[in-house]
Amino acid sequence: MKRIETDIIVIGGGATGAGVARDVSMRGLRCVLIEKNDLASGTTGRNHGLLHSGARYAVKDLESARECISENRILKEIARHCVEDTGGLFVTLPEDDPTYHRNLIEGCRFAGISAREISVRRALQIEPNLNPAILSALHVPDGTIDPFRLTSANALDASERGAIIMTHTRVNAIIRKGTRVEGVSCIDKKNEQLNIYGSVIINASGVWGQEICSMAGIELTMFPSKGSMLIIDYRVNGVVVNRCRPPADGDIVVPGDTVSLIGTTSMEVPYDKIHDNNVTDEEIEVLLSDGEKLIPKVARTRALRAYSGVRPLIAVSGESTGRNISRGITLIDHSARDGIEGLITIAGGKLMTYRLMAEKATDLACKKVGVNKKCATHKMPLPGSEKGISRRRRIKKFSGIPDSVVGSTFYRHGQRLQRIMTREKRNYRLICECEMVTEGEIEYAIKNLNVKDLVDLRRRTRIGMGPCQGELCAYRGSGLLQEYGGASPEESVEMLHDFLEERWKGVRPVLWGDGLREAEFTYWIYQGLFGISRPVKTKRKRTD
Amino acid sequence: MKYDALIIGGGLAGLTCGIRCAAAGLKTAILSGGMNSLHFSSGSIDLMGYDDEGELVKKPFDQVKKICRARRDHPYAKAGLATVKKAMEFFIETTSKTGLTMNHNGDMNHFHITGLGALKPTYLSQESVFSPRGHDILNSGEKIAVMNFSGFRDYYPEQTVAYLKKNRIFAGRDIVLAEISLPWYMDTQKNLHEFRSIDLARIFDTAKYLPRIAEEIRRAAGDAAAVSLPAFLGIKNYRTIRKRLEDMTGKFIYEIPTLPPSILGLRIDQALKESFIGYGGEFIANERAESGPVDSGLLEHVNTRNSGREPVSSKYYVLSTGSFFSGGLASNSQRITEPVFNFKVDADTKRSKWYSWFFFDAKSHPFLSYGVRTDKNFNPVNEKGNTVKNVFCAGAVLSGYDPVREGCGGGVAITSGFACAEKIIGELKK
Repeated sequence: MKRIETDIIVIGGGATGAGVARDVSMRGLRCVLIEKNDLASGTTGRNHGLLHSGARYAVKDLESARECISENRILKEIARHCVEDTGGLFVTLPEDDPTYHRNLIEGCRFAGISAREISVRRALQIEPNLNPAILSALHVPDGTIDPFRLTSANALDASERGAIIMTHTRVNAIIRKGTRVEGVSCIDKKNEQLNIYGSVIINASGVWGQEICSMAGIELTMFPSKGSMLIIDYRVNGVVVNRCRPPADGDIVVPGDTVSLIGTTSMEVPYDKIHDNNVTDEEIEVLLSDGEKLIPKVARTRALRAYSGVRPLIAVSGESTGRNISRGITLIDHSARDGIEGLITIAGGKLMTYRLMAEKATDLACKKVGVNKKCATHKMPLPGSEKGISRRRRIKKFSGIPDSVVGSTFYRHGQRLQRIMTREKRNYRLICECEMVTEGEIEYAIKNLNVKDLVDLRRRTRIGMGPCQGELCAYRGSGLLQEYGGASPEESVEMLHDFLEERWKGVRPVLWGDGLREAEFTYWIYQGLFGISRPVKTKRKRTD
Repeated sequence: MKYDALIIGGGLAGLTCGIRCAAAGLKTAILSGGMNSLHFSSGSIDLMGYDDEGELVKKPFDQVKKICRARRDHPYAKAGLATVKKAMEFFIETTSKTGLTMNHNGDMNHFHITGLGALKPTYLSQESVFSPRGHDILNSGEKIAVMNFSGFRDYYPEQTVAYLKKNRIFAGRDIVLAEISLPWYMDTQKNLHEFRSIDLARIFDTAKYLPRIAEEIRRAAGDAAAVSLPAFLGIKNYRTIRKRLEDMTGKFIYEIPTLPPSILGLRIDQALKESFIGYGGEFIANERAESGPVDSGLLEHVNTRNSGREPVSSKYYVLSTGSFFSGGLASNSQRITEPVFNFKVDADTKRSKWYSWFFFDAKSHPFLSYGVRTDKNFNPVNEKGNTVKNVFCAGAVLSGYDPVREGCGGGVAITSGFACAEKIIGELKK
């Protein structure tokens, strides 16, 4: 059996876990991160990608609002290549309570969020697709953030500082000696057993934290709240559009890359249903009809896919329902709470506050192992977000390569562009035409960003995330995983199969119009033309 | 009346129908909205590949016979076994006249090899996929080389070989991987984003590079008796090019269809268009029918996208607009429709019934067998419930069959296109 010794073990490869791994590594400690699936494959990658200004919480949850605006300012500096500083609007529809607008301005003032009241005319200038019937508008410093890029950049920085990132590795037991946890026992993708020993275990596994705690013999109750979102195939808005009313279903439209997202529904789910990511037809109806109220064009735009995530809300006191439980950060020192030494749980919070959560967890872990070094994650830019060459020099350096291709790579990887792109023709050959992913970018991702399969590759590069949902590039990607990732031909075909099944999960709930046409085409190609054979390894079960 | 037959949709069904009509001396036109599904097909014609249990069909006409008896809504049943046979003969004859040979294995199916190394049952194939000589070599146990063109990103031969070897026929075979390259071509190539099968087909279409390519193949294949290449052996001059390449290399050259555009399919498309125009048919490209009034069970005329206020009229019309992808069927979140004339469709009303839970479900997807409801004469029914007697429907716009699960897309297109033409010819004779 393989055995690894380290200082800190991080369980969970979402934004928080990756953030902890980075923070811990920056303070000079050795670290191993364990993720059962892929980086950002859970709740982190299943939200609307809003870079909160905090305004959404300003009326009801002042503490969260303050955390948001503070992290908002930090992320705009340290994660520049993951963030788009679009700005955001809060608009009041004729059917909404007009007094909420005032409350919001007041709340923002208390929280230190610069909310500016603007005229309806000005709002329509900023966002021409906005519903012209709005009564009032407020401008806030909202933006957008790409959770995949953010998590990957944190993990990349951690591993460049010596951390070990192990994805597709599942914790199946916590090794405990008396009242002290000493390590974790895991199983990797090839079904090999692996024991990792460390001084402190940081449980950053979000909603799955309940399972991890129970492995250590601790009871921790999560209140999973499912949120569904819908992606439409065009970026119909340039700025974030929020509805000016107390948070409810379908009240936000967030632009992101080449698409827009309509969010979100909120529904409590029993803990044994947290793996169920299906979006119901009713949820689709709500999201589309509410999205249309904010931006009427939504009704005439193709729905690309729908997905859902589960918020890891912890009920610390006697809180009741999903939207009412605080989105605040919960840091648990299990030695104080349960008398178990060496285990910390960091949960609650949101994508926006991942860095702060990581800081809090790392501070506590450092205290436990006697390290005094202060947190510096708010000052050091993430890999790719450093100040680098200017646009002019970039254009000069890559002249001859279409600017749209250079621009796409830069948009996704920031200054790392310089390690990805070369003027060798093979390097910039397009593999995914929708999202302009080059062979060079795929090679870089496979070799540097913990890519184990085609779905991982999608999260790192956006291959297959565009309008065609991987119609042609999925096949090309599977071929390249053999070449650069050492996958056997059989493995590469299984990955292709799994990738297309995974895409289907999101397409299925919005299967009409152009989406249906595209799905039919994809089916013809892979079943009709290629005759893809089904992998025999897994038994498939319908999960609904 | 401007035409005897106006065919809406220029795919396999529409072209077959058009050729039959024009060959019979009818004044025929085809409105074609754009590329058809031949552009991403295998280039083989599947007649009946799998039975209702998903088992391989050995003798396709026997299965067609069964279907004619058991499934009255299937297009084959509406056409009848005799018409299916006649349609196939007609298709073989038509393509052969233009120089494209479509081979079959008597009354048996044969296999074509897919990019992922699967063996798919089919009825007609081009000679690079099925021919007596190729058949002998594949059965002889001689060495095979599976090749790719260096830097070609739309094909991965390792996958072909790995899955091919899982099949009984190829399990113990000596199969080698090899790569050919033309470096001097790569250097002149300006835009590598466009390095697709069509670009390679163009190189092959000009015989200029053949000696170098042949030399490369000989070098890379060693003593293999047969060589497979991703399908890009030219479009127009395919037959002579392939023959010369076989002569120069002394090897049997096999083609494997890859990502679209499908060169094998393009050859059929080109052959059929050539034949249609040769018979005096009018091929109107980039034109779509948009609507048309139906009065007392007859379609009066068709309004098209480009004809402005001038309607196009004909004695008979054929609707061969394909399924969802080609726009023959449309859908929104509530229902599935036929968008041009609003003919009645056979489809589930609840959206959650349209699809299967898994993408690669063995049962395929219900939406694949949705389509326009027709009577035994292929006449559709309009929204008022009247049969429209001067319109016939052909190809993927029809309901009652699943082209992928049954492996019969090409066969149904040809059969129904041919059957509609026969009906029009018969009516006009009266």
